[in-house]
Amino acid sequence: MIEILTIPGVILIIGAVLLSLLPQKIRSSAFLIFPIAALAFVLTRPDGYSVTASLGNFELIVMEVDALSRVFGIIFAITAFVAGTYAWHIKDLGQQINALVYAGSALGVTYAGDLLSLIIFWELMAVSSTWLIWANRTEASDKAGTRYLLYHILGGGLLLAGIIWHYMTTGSLMVESLEQNYTIANVLMLVGVAINAAVIPLHTWLADAYPKATITGAVFMSAFTTKSAVYVLIRVFPGWELLIWFGAAMAIYGVVYAVICKDIREILAYHIISQVGFMVCGIGIGTDMALNGATAHAYSHILYKSLLFMSTGAVLYATGTSKLVHLGGLAKKMPYVLGLYLVGGFSISGLPLFNGYISKSMTISAAGYAHNEMAMLMLLFASVGTFLSVGLKLPYYTWFGKEDNDIDVKPIPKNMYIGMGIAAFACIFYGLYPQALYMYLPFEYDYNPFTVYHFVEITQISLMTFAGFWLLRKKLAGELIIALDVDWFYRKAAPLTRKVFVNGVDNFYDRVEDKIWDIARFLTQKFKNPMTWLNPFTDRNNEATRYSPAMEVVMSLILFTVLVFSLLYLI
Amino acid sequence: MKNWHWIILGILFLVTLVLEFTYLADYDSHWWNSIPAFYALFGFVSCIVIIYFAKFIAKNIVNRDINYYD
Repeated sequence: MIEILTIPGVILIIGAVLLSLLPQKIRSSAFLIFPIAALAFVLTRPDGYSVTASLGNFELIVMEVDALSRVFGIIFAITAFVAGTYAWHIKDLGQQINALVYAGSALGVTYAGDLLSLIIFWELMAVSSTWLIWANRTEASDKAGTRYLLYHILGGGLLLAGIIWHYMTTGSLMVESLEQNYTIANVLMLVGVAINAAVIPLHTWLADAYPKATITGAVFMSAFTTKSAVYVLIRVFPGWELLIWFGAAMAIYGVVYAVICKDIREILAYHIISQVGFMVCGIGIGTDMALNGATAHAYSHILYKSLLFMSTGAVLYATGTSKLVHLGGLAKKMPYVLGLYLVGGFSISGLPLFNGYISKSMTISAAGYAHNEMAMLMLLFASVGTFLSVGLKLPYYTWFGKEDNDIDVKPIPKNMYIGMGIAAFACIFYGLYPQALYMYLPFEYDYNPFTVYHFVEITQISLMTFAGFWLLRKKLAGELIIALDVDWFYRKAAPLTRKVFVNGVDNFYDRVEDKIWDIARFLTQKFKNPMTWLNPFTDRNNEATRYSPAMEVVMSLILFTVLVFSLLYLI
Repeated sequence: MKNWHWIILGILFLVTLVLEFTYLADYDSHWWNSIPAFYALFGFVSCIVIIYFAKFIAKNIVNRDINYYD
């Protein structure tokens, strides 16, 4: 039983509880201990290690280790540490606790050996991450957080329904790969997971909520929700062909919207959708190389995307705005943040010597080797868009673009630099030594990203993308607009839905309640003294309540006797 | 962008072309590898297409005033 406490996810959740007992001064530092402890357990547990527990009649496998869960465990623990460093200056207990619970439940999902433990951590993840949006305490974040939570409750509900259905038909609760077979149970589970993976058209919660989360909360969010869903997809749905096309479509959809969007964090949010598209596409292809590629890309993605969210967060922290139209000309005022951002920007664009290159090229080539050339070209098309928005448009209109900007730039805390520095170091480290990542990949597959072909491919694409950007850069300038997405349907339908399902039901219950009170009032009045209406021969103020005690005793005796006799007679 | 920036990018592009025509002549697993400098063309055309397509959608369908939902 004590072993349960050593599950990496549980360590972080226990950490969250302990955190609430600590004084504010040491809380931020204590936060960092738990991811390190979790990382130690992640690295030392051998393949096949498992922890079981029983819940009612179910034997739960709350932790099961293999190569796939280990690689996700490592990166989740590292990110919790990096994001914790970045958020070291935060004093808000609610955010700290929820961030730790959130990271812990993502780790819990990663190691869950059965579907029941998985869904428990899954729901915990949704609830704790919602706090990171609400913690911003603006009207927009309140509303966006509620939409986010509702969306995830829907997703969790579908997943749970699928799990129950799956259990009823197969009798198995194991987390294992399913044959491609579109039964109701499988489809329910797939849709439930797809919501968390932000597969279009179920992606709107992401682009809606992430830009409205707190600066530090967004860093946590960019890492865990979508990537734990990617993990579940790799584990349960590898080789489901539908995913190829949904993935490729996501990749393109994300980059097109990123061109339209004019808010730096919104651009990055759409790029999460796009990058997860690469992974989903790889999962759909389902060869060893493609699954390795999806895993490696998730790993790289978490690093560079958290770096990107950290550095745009630093801009937002320093200037108070994330709108491109107000930014620009910050190169002299925030040169280090620019440098750190560019490491992330070049990584996500897959430029050589950065970590995106070692994983993106693997995913794209996997499509090519599987002779799915259409998918390969779609992914290449998407990577043009990635470089265009994250590598060029965003930094150009944030740090350059204007000669000077009279916007006030607040100094940012040192710990933010440290957090960004660690992530930037990791991006470059893995870019130079891909073996450090490849050795943890789940499948045996020899792959060398440093070939002339890949170098020529990505360099030509990037150079000409740059040329295209430079020609048309004026078209990408910031404006004060919002871009509608498919969330329009539910956001516009919200007032009507509220009228029918909330206000309508509310009114109904209000009326029923009023009526019940009326009836209760009526009855208490009448039964306070029933003699007033039972005995029509007395006046209203009769003296029934004033019988002497002796008289009452005699009357009750008579009544009792009558009752007993009538009962005896009936029997 | 200063002139020497452009010169560096130009040299880099020439290097990729040289590499392509010297090392990769027999690389034929995809149909597009027979097109010289395919990836350069692909990158440029894709970039233009994405920008114009996104602008088209933005202008005609999705762009709204910033207070649209309030």
